[in-house]
Amino acid sequence: MSVPSSVPAPTGLTGTDFLSAQRKNRRMTRWLLIILTLIAAGLGAVIGAVLEFEGGTASDAFGALTGPAAIGGASLLAVASLSWSGIALGFGDRMVTGLAGAKEVTREEEPQLHNIVEEMALAAGLPKPRVLVIETEVPNAFATGMRTSKAAIGVTRGLLQTLTRSELQGVIGHEMGHVANLDTRYMTIVGVTVGLISMVAEIALRSMQWGSLGRSRSSSSGKKGGGQAILFILLIVFAILAPIAAKLVQFAVSRQREYLADATSVQFTRNPEGLIGALRKLTEAAKPFPGVSGATQHLFIVNPLRQFTSRTPALFATHPALEDRIKRLRNLGT
Amino acid sequence: MDTSTWVVIGIAGAVVLWLIATYNRLVSLRNQAQNAWAQIDVQLKRRHDLVPNLVEVVKDAMGYEQETLKQVVEARNAAVNAKGPAEIGAAEGALTAATTKLFALMENYPQLKANDNVMQLQEELTTTENKISFARQFYNDSIMGANNMVQSFPANLIAGTFGFTTMAHLDIPDAERAVPKVSLR
Repeated sequence: MSVPSSVPAPTGLTGTDFLSAQRKNRRMTRWLLIILTLIAAGLGAVIGAVLEFEGGTASDAFGALTGPAAIGGASLLAVASLSWSGIALGFGDRMVTGLAGAKEVTREEEPQLHNIVEEMALAAGLPKPRVLVIETEVPNAFATGMRTSKAAIGVTRGLLQTLTRSELQGVIGHEMGHVANLDTRYMTIVGVTVGLISMVAEIALRSMQWGSLGRSRSSSSGKKGGGQAILFILLIVFAILAPIAAKLVQFAVSRQREYLADATSVQFTRNPEGLIGALRKLTEAAKPFPGVSGATQHLFIVNPLRQFTSRTPALFATHPALEDRIKRLRNLGT
Repeated sequence: MDTSTWVVIGIAGAVVLWLIATYNRLVSLRNQAQNAWAQIDVQLKRRHDLVPNLVEVVKDAMGYEQETLKQVVEARNAAVNAKGPAEIGAAEGALTAATTKLFALMENYPQLKANDNVMQLQEELTTTENKISFARQFYNDSIMGANNMVQSFPANLIAGTFGFTTMAHLDIPDAERAVPKVSLR
């Protein structure tokens, strides 16, 4: 399982337009999803192989890894993550209520905000999303919605107070980009799969600890014992590494979707300067506010909990570094 | 039935499915474009309604700008009476140029900025002009998608049979793109 070396932040940017930038981001996400599925299937295969060994049908490690139980384990995990994702998607835009303090505002209360959301909906050719406001001084914005027809865009009071009209347009364009690219759905599927991998790995580790897996260790001997030892080491390594790898993939997907939304915003507004100005102001003023937690941090246009600069370890970031985002936006010169 | 019969049935089925999919795609592209056009129309009408209101509320304060105000009203009336895409494009472009000039001149009258009614109308007019521009952008993108499909092989065979034709881009002159220089919060 080899991660394409260019996943976190491709260097050597060449001049590009928003359409090819979008294609590139989408291609990157597809790769990451394939990797994530392979991690899940690999974990399932190793567990299946260990179980098969317990049952005594396999005679060596390789036979167990390619045996029916391993394949069954791999497919089981793949199917489980798919159907679990499906259930999660069924809950719709429950996330909105999870964001404490986000209240829907009427056109009379916030005419300009409504106007800009309508402008961006027209540019995207999508129905107008619901418009929410969080009463906090910290400028930030988010989008949510499993379907383009049932989406919501939220901004903080601080955002409305600090940005100019064209900067606000860039931010709403970015959020409309998340809606148009179905990013809530994307991140839900990824999040559910990552959660499943962590859970299964945890269960596997615990069962080994308590002896329900590998009971026959002492009684087995010779060639079979050796094969079993290999499988156990494999399982331990996998159970420890798979959740970490899955988490890294999740962050990488999140960063790709941010770049994609930035490029989509420029497609809508045809004005990178607005979003660039907004990103500068937002990053300067970014700090946690009530209602934000680790579970919702990835929803916002700039991460409210942590600041990402080029120096922070890029692998664990939900958002790309500001400098990288601006560099790419400058590159989109339309 | 032997294998070759099944192969023939399979191919025929695939062709029928492709025909249906292509036809439906053509229909949805055409509808998307028509919907986008309807949106432009709505916003153009809205602008025609807003312009006289704005002129009405600023005309007392802007006593020395009667000439500009007159031009705005004339451009608006010409746009209302324009017929056909080419004429509409030219007339709406002229109206945008006129309102852009008006917005710029309004900067010289601080008392207008303190007037909620004026600010509200100005925001409405700004958003309407933006919406015209974004709807047109989406319309032209939709048209491009639809035209590409209508013209390219093999979808053009179906398009020709069912009377799908290429559609015209809407060109409103570049004056339209010049965003009024007003700093609104």
